[in-house]
Amino acid sequence: MRAARAGWLLVLPAAALIAALSLYPVGYGIWLSFYNKHAFFPGEQFIGLANYGAVLADEEFWRSLRLGLVYSLSTIVLQLLIGTAAALLLNEAFPARGLVRAVAIFPYVVPTVVAIIIWKWLLNNQFGLVNYALGVSISWFGRDWIMVSLILVSVWQFFPFVLLAVLARLQTIPLDLYEAAKVDGANAWRRFVHITLPQLAGVLFVVVLLRSVWMFTKFDTPWLMIQGGGAEPYIRTLPIYTFQRTFAYYEAGRGSAMAVLMFLLLVVAAALYFRLWRREEQL
Amino acid sequence: MKRIGIAAGAAALVFFTAFPFAWMALTAFKRPYEIFTTPPTLLPASFTLENVTRLFEQTRFITYLGNSVLVASATVLLTLAVATPAAYGLTRFRWRGRELVAASVLFTYMFAPIMVIIPFYVLMRALELTNTRAGLVLAYSAFCLPFALWLLRSFFQSIPLELEEAALTDGASRARAVIHVVLPLALPGVIATGTFTFILAWNDYILARVLLAADELKTLPVGIADLYNASVVDWGMIMAAGTLVLLPVLAVFVFIQRYLVAGWGSGGIKG
Repeated sequence: MRAARAGWLLVLPAAALIAALSLYPVGYGIWLSFYNKHAFFPGEQFIGLANYGAVLADEEFWRSLRLGLVYSLSTIVLQLLIGTAAALLLNEAFPARGLVRAVAIFPYVVPTVVAIIIWKWLLNNQFGLVNYALGVSISWFGRDWIMVSLILVSVWQFFPFVLLAVLARLQTIPLDLYEAAKVDGANAWRRFVHITLPQLAGVLFVVVLLRSVWMFTKFDTPWLMIQGGGAEPYIRTLPIYTFQRTFAYYEAGRGSAMAVLMFLLLVVAAALYFRLWRREEQL
Repeated sequence: MKRIGIAAGAAALVFFTAFPFAWMALTAFKRPYEIFTTPPTLLPASFTLENVTRLFEQTRFITYLGNSVLVASATVLLTLAVATPAAYGLTRFRWRGRELVAASVLFTYMFAPIMVIIPFYVLMRALELTNTRAGLVLAYSAFCLPFALWLLRSFFQSIPLELEEAALTDGASRARAVIHVVLPLALPGVIATGTFTFILAWNDYILARVLLAADELKTLPVGIADLYNASVVDWGMIMAAGTLVLLPVLAVFVFIQRYLVAGWGSGGIKG
């Protein structure tokens, strides 16, 4: 009994902080979504589902949802491919492997603003190294290319997460599995398909889930991409539009409704994902 | 054949991840006219600190730096002070609701700032904590706590209970057992958690952007983003700023590298 109380007391400050500053705002956000509320001024007025009605009738909402899906799906696929390939490579033995691993992971730990200014400079249409090296004069932040640039920067910034996760798992695959397969005459490709991939299935499941949640809600990378002259409407993803509705149009209620919808979409997607996964496991 | 393939792959990977950083650093040390020459030069023809000097003299970089150091350090201290006892309580005592608390911690770990930023902003405004560094520290701590707890919990779980029990049966009090037996063993985990927290607070843009308006309170990511957003972009200066911001990250990274894999296993990294 004393032990129970001590355990509670130790956890209490952390639990209180998380409850007050993470869980409570989520509840408060849901509450706000039913109100007409200015972002700065106090006072609000209950309007029921009017915010949701306005959001669903807003063509720009659907457009930002589409753009957000294009952005998150393409970055997730590329991160998975590059991250897994890099992990397989860095799991092999070669000189200076530790250093190469560290270098490959580094983009993930730098501030987003640094990743953005680096690529804004590399992709600068007048003086950028990329245009010079390719011998072209592409306007990388114009309407036709800004989504491509955004995807490039995001994949560069976030593929190390996949790399880390897969590499950690690769290191725990028992080597005798491969030895036994070699004895049975399986070639490298068959060993990959029949041993490595099934062993990675679990970690890839978690990685896809986390990356999907975080790419679909990614704000700072696209937002900073727009700053300093970017074709804003062409990468106005759902988080960007939600932010603008709240802090540029000052509609905190409507912004909250969009955030709640974003949350609901993620919950539905996650539920579907879990169901599909289970079905596949039964096969 | 295989070795050539591996070497080529590793070289390509290093080029892809490291070259952009190298290009930033090289640009930072070129004279302004050289930055815009065609064809571009790889190495600075004459190495200069001009851009750094301009950054220090013409912008409030030093102020932003001070704010960043202060806010990130305070976040680390507050997060660790709250998360370490909690992780101990979660692993060493059995109590009703323990699993529920652990599950809700994992749930909040998935939150992205954009999902809570609006109510969070309204709340902080009501508490008159917007435009204060204390408010930002609170925000970061709340945001870092779930993963800090999760990470520390896994470190505490790896410390055998027998050690503490031996100390307790030898007549040591619970506090003495924790201080002399558990904490020394948990220290690497605490330091690793602290560095992950530091990086998150140091790198954040959105919370600082929304919660702070006064120029003298801005942290580096917001300050640099605003430098970049100026009407005429001073590329040499921006690249110098970017390079300088990376130095602490690089120093911390060299240290936590070996914890990164363990950190992934217990959810120590997010974003």
